[in-house]
Amino acid sequence: MFGYGWLVLIAPLLGFLSLSCLGKRIPRSIAGYLGCATVGFAFFISLILLVHLSVLEPEERVGGAQALYTWIDSGQFHLDFAILIDPLSVFMFLIVTGVGFLIHVYSLGYMEHDPEFKRFFAYLNLFIFSMCVLVSAADFFFLIVGWALVGLASYLLIGFWRDKPSAVLAARKAFVMNVIGDVGMLVAAFMIFETFGSLSYQKVFEMAPTMFLANDMNMILITLFLLVGAFAKSAQLPLHTWLPDAMEGPTPVSALIHAATMVTAGVYLVARCHTLFELAPFTMYVIATVGIITATFAGTIAMVQTDIKRVIAYSTMSQLGYMFLAVGLGMFSFGMFHLMTHAFFKALLFLGAGSVIHSLNEEQDIRKMGGLAKAMPVTYITFLIGSLALAGFPLTSGFFSKEAIIMGAYHSEMGNILFWGLAVFTAGMTAFYTFRLFFCVFQGDLRTPDAHPHESPVTMTGPLVILGFFALAAGVLGPWVDSFLSPVFGGHAEHYQDGFLETIAVFVGLGGIMTAGLLYMVRSDKIEPIKEALAPIQEILFHKYYVDEIYDFLIVKPVKAISVFLEDMGEKKGVDFAVDQVGEQVREVSKYVSLWQSGRIRDYAVNMVAGMALVLIFVAFL
Amino acid sequence: MLFFIVFIPLVASAALWAMDKDSVAPVRSIALGGTGLCLLFSVFLLFGFESENNGMQFVAGLTWVESLNINLKFGIDGISLWLVILTAFLGVIAVIYSTSQKNDQQREFLALLLALETGILGVFVSLDTISFYVFWELMLIPSYFIIGLWGEGNRIYATTKFVLFTLVGSLLMLVAILALTLEYHTATHEWSFDIDTLSHMHLDDGTQLWMFLCFFLAFAIKVPMFPLHSWLPHAYKSCPIPALILITGAMSKAGAYGMIRFCLPLFPSAIESLALLIGACAAGGMVYGAWIAVMQKDLKSLVAYSSISHLGFIVLGIFSYNSQGVEGSVLQMVNHGIIASALFIIVGIIESKMGTRQLDKLKGMGTPMPVLYGMFMLLALAALGLPGLNGFVGEFLILAGVWTSVTLSDMAAIYVLMGGAAIVFASIYMLYMFQGAMQEKNEDLPKDLEDINCAQFGVLLPACILVVFIGLYPKPFVDRIGPSVDSALHAEKTVNLPSAEDASSHH
Repeated sequence: MFGYGWLVLIAPLLGFLSLSCLGKRIPRSIAGYLGCATVGFAFFISLILLVHLSVLEPEERVGGAQALYTWIDSGQFHLDFAILIDPLSVFMFLIVTGVGFLIHVYSLGYMEHDPEFKRFFAYLNLFIFSMCVLVSAADFFFLIVGWALVGLASYLLIGFWRDKPSAVLAARKAFVMNVIGDVGMLVAAFMIFETFGSLSYQKVFEMAPTMFLANDMNMILITLFLLVGAFAKSAQLPLHTWLPDAMEGPTPVSALIHAATMVTAGVYLVARCHTLFELAPFTMYVIATVGIITATFAGTIAMVQTDIKRVIAYSTMSQLGYMFLAVGLGMFSFGMFHLMTHAFFKALLFLGAGSVIHSLNEEQDIRKMGGLAKAMPVTYITFLIGSLALAGFPLTSGFFSKEAIIMGAYHSEMGNILFWGLAVFTAGMTAFYTFRLFFCVFQGDLRTPDAHPHESPVTMTGPLVILGFFALAAGVLGPWVDSFLSPVFGGHAEHYQDGFLETIAVFVGLGGIMTAGLLYMVRSDKIEPIKEALAPIQEILFHKYYVDEIYDFLIVKPVKAISVFLEDMGEKKGVDFAVDQVGEQVREVSKYVSLWQSGRIRDYAVNMVAGMALVLIFVAFL
Repeated sequence: MLFFIVFIPLVASAALWAMDKDSVAPVRSIALGGTGLCLLFSVFLLFGFESENNGMQFVAGLTWVESLNINLKFGIDGISLWLVILTAFLGVIAVIYSTSQKNDQQREFLALLLALETGILGVFVSLDTISFYVFWELMLIPSYFIIGLWGEGNRIYATTKFVLFTLVGSLLMLVAILALTLEYHTATHEWSFDIDTLSHMHLDDGTQLWMFLCFFLAFAIKVPMFPLHSWLPHAYKSCPIPALILITGAMSKAGAYGMIRFCLPLFPSAIESLALLIGACAAGGMVYGAWIAVMQKDLKSLVAYSSISHLGFIVLGIFSYNSQGVEGSVLQMVNHGIIASALFIIVGIIESKMGTRQLDKLKGMGTPMPVLYGMFMLLALAALGLPGLNGFVGEFLILAGVWTSVTLSDMAAIYVLMGGAAIVFASIYMLYMFQGAMQEKNEDLPKDLEDINCAQFGVLLPACILVVFIGLYPKPFVDRIGPSVDSALHAEKTVNLPSAEDASSHH
């Protein structure tokens, strides 16, 4: 029925293959359009899938696995290469290919002068393909395949400017951290296979509720190992350090992979496997707790960063924390809703930042920016919309999606005042750092005198406008998201109404914006003493709580030292030495043995007699 | 058919010895023709092979010693099928690669290389323990001379160590082979050296244990398995690359192959009692090799230590003693053969272009060499087990087998986690290697640095295609391996020892 859904995967794959293998045979002028066209086509097919699903009865919308071929058949282990077309995967298709298409178009302008233009589009297409594999996999095996392939695409794009040592290093860091996550997923897959005898979602999700009660140890372990993968991919504590460094990649990459799509894969995973996670309330609690801690942790860091992309990167981590909080509290469709609105406004902010960086000749330090409002009106307006949405300003898309989560943090079954308090506090910080960034970049005077800022070409501003529209208006889609996804989640998420708490949240958000305005617009002398008093805290935050340094000391250095030690002690002084010693000893012994071989017949005769006597004695007495 | 496949390289080798020393072109064409013909025949095997059949196919035999019933008996099943094709394939690659390099004694080198190929092929197709043993030793002689004569560095030390190590193992194996036949003679009053016949014999636990140890040591040294691996870094480091293609790609699989062919069907009870211990060594080797590889600066020793790690996976899979694990191991043998040999070729190319293979002196080769960049990346990703490429399929099946293994059950989870650690390390050292050599900016690159030429491209291309193909569609491979693995795991024990027979005849 949904066989044509394969086209969503095949189009970008063909784009990748032709761009990467045909090399010079594709002229540069066509390469960019080809890259965009494949993703545009995939988006078009996703829209058809959406219409197709919408006309079906709700119960017919789930379970549409489309097998292409049998991948392997080994023992009891049978796997088809299949995709699953259901509301959740189509929902993700739409975000990935839709936002992906806009970012492809944007890249036409952004990467125009890059000598490796073609390679860039090849990698972007590879990413779209991999992400579609991830979200449409019908079993845990191809989930892992997609999971690792997006990691690869992310690695390739972070390290796209391969001449830069920092980019090479950041790419490697991201890859290795993601491999740690992959191994976690792998172990989870083995446990699932052992427990259920299958890796297919359908079978596992059907059997799990009938086999296990809530909080069965088996379920807890499986879900915790899945979480290792989810946290690594979605940059949650303690596997988060790769994401800020990933900003070494070109800005469209940060927008697409490290904001809108790939990093949300962890949230998608929890939503996709909600049947398993619901059987492990303990794990759900872990998810919600890690989510809210990461949200707060990243929010504090974002307040003091000075690199425009790093501020947005930490904000992404923080917003991902909100999404984990939502799914951890069992509000899956709210998590997906925030995932969607976040995809719009965060892609918008990154692309806006890219537009700024582009016009200031790769300048990323917000202390050197300012006053760009006049020079870049479209970027200015759209960035303002994105900032409002991120700050949760009433009636923007971010307001609706975040508010639903914050209310649930208190009112839902597992919710409590602490979750709510931290969520509101983080919302305040979010508003503050977003507008700190906004004011620094667009208001006041330009602090780099010799720069000549200019508005970006229409290939870049066009996507900004479209994303701006969605960032502003996508809030109305909330009820639709909930009802569209309800066949997958087996019910609706409850939307809690609480006027009092809502008011507090709104005012905290507005307070954050006002504070930023006071500090960075008015620049009164009265705040200098406060700034000085907070300097030590700022230092800690600026160094991101020294997590990188701690990891380096606790993990990286010991790993390297042990490697050297093993080679030195294990190999040279251990195994080799032992073996050489055996040889030496044999040679030593043979020296003595060779003394017997004197060459004199008399000696041999004596020895022979002695030997025979020994044998006789031996035989006689035993 | 199999006789042709095995002896064509040997005949070609003999022809090379007979050639005039200075005729370069005929030397090349004979070597290439011999290996090419051998590959052609072995690919034909694929078409005649019945994948459902779990027995030996293409069986052909010659009587050798009639009174003792020793035969030169060849045959293949789903396990050896792929290894034969792999060896024949690598033979061609090795010859092409070595003819593209300068070598004053090309004729002698190629002749030894071809003899080595015959030895390896013979091991994979022999169905008779004595002919297995003869080919096993035949592998040793050419590799001894190749490393000793054409090696680099401390080559005499390396080759002596290699040969002594392997000899110790193979002599133990010879003892066990003879003892096995004597047991059979006691039971049936007939002589047989046939592997299949012998594996139907029921052996008591004590006998199984010591015989198993003799065989196992021989194989474990050949693989090599931690902690018996100390010959490998020296031998690999000093071995010239064309020979290394065959040695790492095909010969190192002979050990693992022997474990499957002999240890699994012959000594089930010994495996049950020793699997945990062997698993510990294998899993330890995975982590140990990978961990050391992380800080290697010499690309050749980096790949050598990564091989120790990957071979640990293969042995661990075998001793999971279930179909997923063993099938994964067989597939991983093929995968490792393809990947490791291709990586060594790349190391060779880098060394010939830059004059060094020290990582700290290399940088930024990717910009002037986009084709090598792409191929190197693909192979490095396959080696680190990226899902979607072939290395992952093998590792996944192996670890799935270990996880569900009965013989390893107590430690299975720990071994799998160690495998996970090895995978993480693999991503670190492979990226160090790839990024270190190919990325970043390098102002000191030679101005005339050109991308790889057609011959080098042709040598690497098949590996790249197979890496992707097996990753995307492993079914045709696993389908043929599966039935044979099952029959190795469930050898029926129909021949009893006299004590048991006497007991039954009394009733």
